[in-house]
Amino acid sequence: MLDSIRQKVRQGERLSFDDGLALFHEPDLLAVGQLANEVREKRHGDRTYFNRNMRVEVTNVCVASCLFCSFAKLEAHMPGAHTMSLEEAWKHLEDRKDDPPTEVHVVNGLHPGLPFSYYEELLKGFKRIDSNVHLKCFTGVEIHFFAQHYKMTVREVLERLRAAGLDSLPGGGAEIFDEDVRKRISHDKANADEYLEVHRVAHSMGMRSNVTMLYGHIETFAHRVDHILRVRALQDETKGFQAFIPLAFHPDGNGMKNLPAPTAVDDLRTLAVSRLLLDNVEHIKAYWVSLTPDVAQIALRFGADDIDGTIVHETIYKAAGTRSPGALGYDELVRLIREAGRTPIERDTLYNVVREHPKAAAPEASMKVRDRKRALQVVS
Amino acid sequence: MSTLRVIGVEYLNARPLWEAFRGDAAAERGLGAGIVDLRLAPPSELARALAEDEADVGLLPVAAAAAMGELRLLRNMAIGARGKVRSVAIVAERPIHELDSIALDLSSRTSVVLTRLLLARRKLAPKLFGALPPQAIASIGDRTGALIIGDPALDLEDRYPYRLDLAEDWFDWTGLPFVFAAWFARPGAVSRDQEDLFRIAKQKGLARTDQIAAEHSARSGLSEESLRSYLTESIRYDLGDEELAGLQRFWSEGAKAGLLPAATPTFEEPRTSVSRPSLDSILLRAADGERLSASDGVRLLREGSFFELGLAADAVRRRKHPKGVVTYIVDRNVNYTNVCTTSCRFCAFYRPVGHPEGYVLSREVLGQKLQEVKDAGGVQILLQGGLNPDLRIEWYEDLFRWVKKAYGLGLHALSPEEIIHLSQLEEISVRRVLERLHAAGLDSVPGGGAEILVDRVRRKIAKAKCTSAEWLDVMRVAHHMGLRSSATMMYGTVDTPEERIQHLMKIRDLQDETGGFTAFFCWDFQHESGTHIAPGDNGTHLYLRTQAVARLMLDNVDHVGASWVTQGPAVGQVALRFGADDFGSVMFEENVVSSAGTTFRIGAEAIEKRINDAGFKATRRNVRYDWLTEPS
Repeated sequence: MLDSIRQKVRQGERLSFDDGLALFHEPDLLAVGQLANEVREKRHGDRTYFNRNMRVEVTNVCVASCLFCSFAKLEAHMPGAHTMSLEEAWKHLEDRKDDPPTEVHVVNGLHPGLPFSYYEELLKGFKRIDSNVHLKCFTGVEIHFFAQHYKMTVREVLERLRAAGLDSLPGGGAEIFDEDVRKRISHDKANADEYLEVHRVAHSMGMRSNVTMLYGHIETFAHRVDHILRVRALQDETKGFQAFIPLAFHPDGNGMKNLPAPTAVDDLRTLAVSRLLLDNVEHIKAYWVSLTPDVAQIALRFGADDIDGTIVHETIYKAAGTRSPGALGYDELVRLIREAGRTPIERDTLYNVVREHPKAAAPEASMKVRDRKRALQVVS
Repeated sequence: MSTLRVIGVEYLNARPLWEAFRGDAAAERGLGAGIVDLRLAPPSELARALAEDEADVGLLPVAAAAAMGELRLLRNMAIGARGKVRSVAIVAERPIHELDSIALDLSSRTSVVLTRLLLARRKLAPKLFGALPPQAIASIGDRTGALIIGDPALDLEDRYPYRLDLAEDWFDWTGLPFVFAAWFARPGAVSRDQEDLFRIAKQKGLARTDQIAAEHSARSGLSEESLRSYLTESIRYDLGDEELAGLQRFWSEGAKAGLLPAATPTFEEPRTSVSRPSLDSILLRAADGERLSASDGVRLLREGSFFELGLAADAVRRRKHPKGVVTYIVDRNVNYTNVCTTSCRFCAFYRPVGHPEGYVLSREVLGQKLQEVKDAGGVQILLQGGLNPDLRIEWYEDLFRWVKKAYGLGLHALSPEEIIHLSQLEEISVRRVLERLHAAGLDSVPGGGAEILVDRVRRKIAKAKCTSAEWLDVMRVAHHMGLRSSATMMYGTVDTPEERIQHLMKIRDLQDETGGFTAFFCWDFQHESGTHIAPGDNGTHLYLRTQAVARLMLDNVDHVGASWVTQGPAVGQVALRFGADDFGSVMFEENVVSSAGTTFRIGAEAIEKRINDAGFKATRRNVRYDWLTEPS
């Protein structure tokens, strides 16, 4: 089976649902990884993208009750519930005056008590502080919620937010598209069609977006393949997705805490299969917050060409018990990529190159000796 | 390169050697049409095709090959068995010496010659007569047995009360494996590069034994599990020194008995200029179980690609542990004292003598820890500590006896550094220290403190520590006394790739001498606050590559363990696909590493899940790597 898949991939032939399933079941993990790596290197060579971004989560108050979520607090008065004032949110960016991020990434709970103008002001304020900063804000789920809650069409919501400064949409909230699974883990927010429709509209307006998949909970491999193929189908139509981002389920403190988290082998395989199935999506992202930096580093050989950015204030995975630090410094990201033998490319949100770093001089090991000697002189 | 004409036989046990030459998949691996032209034929046809220059290489039964004279063997590929082969046997209703006659399946001349040799050795002379396989079985009677081969032999494995497995009987006689067939080439017909194609095919084939077994099971009705174990355990596809000796012996016994012409197997190389072997060729040889040179190792470490190293190491792991089982141990690391006179620059754990934070664990605290180990189903403790001048050898002897008497736990205790320290403190030999500790209950010596066994490196990072020769000598003495030990490597300080390979070579050399190392573990220097060495680039990528190279270099060490305690359980799991067959221990505590910032802690259930997810069965082991539970 793997042989025929390999042949298809090398001939540029599109893989089928069954191929995807077979890849998930293939016992030889490295063979799957190697094939995904081939595709990745054909597209991007050693180039590996990251950016200087900043996460802001302005509210964790949320009307939805997703089983996998350790972040949201259902109502505003509950302990731990918190909604930032606009000034508080803006301050995050103001504090970074000396080291400004190129992107602000906002993801929130579905707060029933805020006026729509809050979000418009939020965006305007960020742009006032830094007119160049790219605002990648509000998942498809949030946009859908805004449309329902504030009684507008999706297009109207997007147009008003764009007028206030919105540049693109993040990929969160996709979870698993399969209707049965989705009903069981997050029944009270945008369904698959509604989620995809938000992206369809955004793409038709010329906005780009990302898309995610939350795996490793109650879904099957077939559900994952189905999910990835729905992404592929919409991408055929709109070409608006920039990156696909598999997100590993983390069980701490949420409604599925009895489930074990997916293990590294599953993480790597999922990335590799995504790379192989999504022949029309340019980038596969190994989101280091979800994977830990160690596994993200290995993932750069399993199909991923992007490891997200410096992040700084991530609180969603933190609440679910990830072992990852909340932020990685710019130099740490560069080093992480170089240690994997890849070329670090700082990008902006739309994948324009901001700065290209040299790849570690090959052979990797001999360079190290030189560096170490220098380092030792400093300490001894 | 012209197209190579290859001829094989359609037997099940031959499939792994030629299957990769067939079909569409072969083409894209560079093994297909235009490069290799494979034809399948009955065994009797092979010799003729080679003799008449219709084929360049044939998977020839060894009796036919002896008769052909000037053929050359391709390296390290054969179909053989060391002991029971299961598919070639004389079956009967009575013991073999009571038989009047034996029906012979004449399709295999090699088996017929072997039968004659084995009967002659027993001074038996039953009447032998030829028969087609179904007739041979039909003719089995009260005093008539039959030589049966292939599927019928596997099918009828338990049918008859008496069964003489020919390869097993050969092994009883000679102590050597029996080689049934191998790739034989017309002289000058196969270049060294072309020979690599056969290695590739073999590796591809051996990676597919499960599917081959399943397919053959569907066709033949034989049990899939039985076929799988036949292909992975009964049949040996290597042609190493032992197999070659077995083949040589068979040919010379056959010649002595007048059954075969005199012949000598040869690998007779077409003379080629001495050129640097390609990276591919090094990887192939390694995956094939051949020994690599130090310069091969350095090339792999510097230039080997991530996946190729991983796949080659995985192939070696599969060869050494074909059952797909990964072990782990339930034990506890007890650091009995942190007082130490060494002051290694990479260590954040030690305290100098007289420091207020220095400790020696009391019996009470130790007892509590040991009881917890017992309660958790643990089987040993890993006891290590600083070089504390206040603790004399009697203290250790008393401690060991107490641990054994009160808790009955295995004692994996005192790294070479501590043994040497005791020898100096007590002014007695290392041997005497080990003898006394052994008598007091020491079971095995942990391989810690090896760091890099190159003195330039040791002087820089751990000036006060023993030299590499001293470290190795403790292990040598321990091994000669019957103690086992592990071996380790900590890379990633000031060491170069050449020095890492030197380290591996020293372990391999000592292992050749003593065979006492059970397993090898490596990890990178764990940099965190409190240590005085700046880390270089390191990372999980280098860890996986380094472990893979170690698996490829250490051909004489049975086990390679993933160091999840230092790398984290996620990377440890991936390491199982880079040559490791052991997941280390369920640890309660590991003070040395955790004071350098690494504090991973997972339980048995989580370890087993990771092992299973990586595609292996899990089992608990003891310090000698015996399985304590049914793999699951």
